[in-house]
Amino acid sequence: MNFDLTATIVFVGLFLFVTWVGFIAARWRKADLDQLHEWGLGGRRFGTVVTWFLLGGDLYTAYTFIAVPALVFGVGAMGFFAVPYTIMIYPILFLVFPRLWTIARREGHVTAADYVRYRFNSSWLALAVAMTGLVATMPYIALQLVGMEVVIGALGFDTQGFTGHIPLIIAFLILAAFTYTSGLRAPALIAVVKDMLIFLTIFAAIVVIPAKLGGYGAIFDAVPKAKLTLKPPSGDSLGEFSAYITLALGSALALFLYPHSLTGILSASSRRVIRRNAAALSAYSFILGLIALLGYMAIAAGVDKNPLHADGFERYGPNFAVPALFLDMFPSWFVGVAFAAIAIGALVPAAIMSIACANLFTRNLYKEYWRPHCSDAEEARVAKIVSLVVKVGAVVFILAIPQSYAIQLQLLGGIWIIQLLPPILLGLFTRGFNAHALLLGWAAGTAVGTYMAASRGFVSSIYPLEVMGLTVPGYAALYSVAVNFLIVFVLSPVLDRLLKQREPLDQDSNRR
Amino acid sequence: MRTKEQRAAAWRYWPRLLLIIPFALVAWVPFYNRIEPTLWGIPFFYWYQLAAIILGAMVVMGVYFLDRRAGFAADGADRRSEQETDDGTGPGGAL
Repeated sequence: MNFDLTATIVFVGLFLFVTWVGFIAARWRKADLDQLHEWGLGGRRFGTVVTWFLLGGDLYTAYTFIAVPALVFGVGAMGFFAVPYTIMIYPILFLVFPRLWTIARREGHVTAADYVRYRFNSSWLALAVAMTGLVATMPYIALQLVGMEVVIGALGFDTQGFTGHIPLIIAFLILAAFTYTSGLRAPALIAVVKDMLIFLTIFAAIVVIPAKLGGYGAIFDAVPKAKLTLKPPSGDSLGEFSAYITLALGSALALFLYPHSLTGILSASSRRVIRRNAAALSAYSFILGLIALLGYMAIAAGVDKNPLHADGFERYGPNFAVPALFLDMFPSWFVGVAFAAIAIGALVPAAIMSIACANLFTRNLYKEYWRPHCSDAEEARVAKIVSLVVKVGAVVFILAIPQSYAIQLQLLGGIWIIQLLPPILLGLFTRGFNAHALLLGWAAGTAVGTYMAASRGFVSSIYPLEVMGLTVPGYAALYSVAVNFLIVFVLSPVLDRLLKQREPLDQDSNRR
Repeated sequence: MRTKEQRAAAWRYWPRLLLIIPFALVAWVPFYNRIEPTLWGIPFFYWYQLAAIILGAMVVMGVYFLDRRAGFAADGADRRSEQETDDGTGPGGAL
């Protein structure tokens, strides 16, 4: 790989610009940042437009921009599951989360565990929710670094060894500093810049690249026929069909349970803002669909056969497909813009995720178990420090442990986080489910899901379920959360008789 | 037993049933797992799902507007509370 000076200058210039934006964000809608809801939720004052950028920047991460087209590049149609997934998330956002927002706003909740604690009056269930959130989010932060490292490598930096990691470490120090000072305001403002760069890059890509490759027809003709569609069911297996749709549905159900998504939702200024965004964020889904197609453009451009990129593919695997495509197709200065878009696309979610982890730790572990009577200022201070610790942890994780572990843990994270669906969904829309049953359901779902992933050697989350001689390969998260729900439904009436349950604190949960 | 008012209140939310449409659009994989008909050289599998994003967005948007209209038609007390917390025209407006 050659060192690309022009691209690097543009890249560093844009990076410095967002750093400046990150620090001035502290003065945007000035408020007392020594309050946790001001630092960690932007004071719950983000309107429709800011929430759109914040959630968009939060959900569509740098890793998405690298990994989705890489999957399409590598396995073909299966990688397109990201599209039905993004179609399904918005009806869920519309129906479920305005209600959670309303209660959280009224009761001053900052995390999902706060809500569960209040709704079911069970500190064990709240602890399970908080721990699941923390454990599922940490590898996700580490993966953002993977996305960033690929583009730094593609600029021509040698990312091997300790000195090779210095650009990454500098980027994360900057991130840690502005998150500490500005809280959620920083990623909210930077997300605006990030999205402008992403949209610019994608529009250039879908116009320039097909023109160079001879149109969309030529691009799809260059892709092997077997990759273009899913493998149909054969014999006694449903093949890729069931895997495709369960992956989409399971991922969609899990998405808004992630602490960083909830942070984005709870920072909105009203229920209406959330509902408006459920419609408006679809524009982002469309962009994601186009980004997925970049994988095929990379096949058509033959980037993997270009000897210039052999080194990159050897190091990063299919994740190098999109950077290689940009290097081949764009002039140097625009490569700088495109790579900056991806790297800044890593900063925004990494910042929000670390804030979400800090909120969880401070509210649901520190305040709950160590310092129940700590002051607001102490709470905010602890959260700021934890956000630093989380980011240092992510960097150490990426430097010390093979990258494949981060990917496997993130895959497990999806399976773990979906287990929060029963307490939150049943908590919001029903009465009378037993907290002990929910806790047992959570434990069983987590165990079953982990077992399913382990049986595939942690490399795939598709579990071949056998139903009466028929093999139904499907997303382990969806199967395991079904087990979870089943246990809750069966055990709840039983445990209600055996164990006297404490009254829920939330007496009017059926209010609309 | 639900009272008549509660039933009427629940009925107010009927447009939300339309939110099943985005799921239905993509639920049956064999329907769209094909190459023909292509559009500008793009196989059906791809352009159909990209179009489904737009259709899905239109459904959610439609439900949003129907929901709001129903909200304004509902009783005054409800509307007042909606406006207090929900109007988005407070400090900062759309931002």
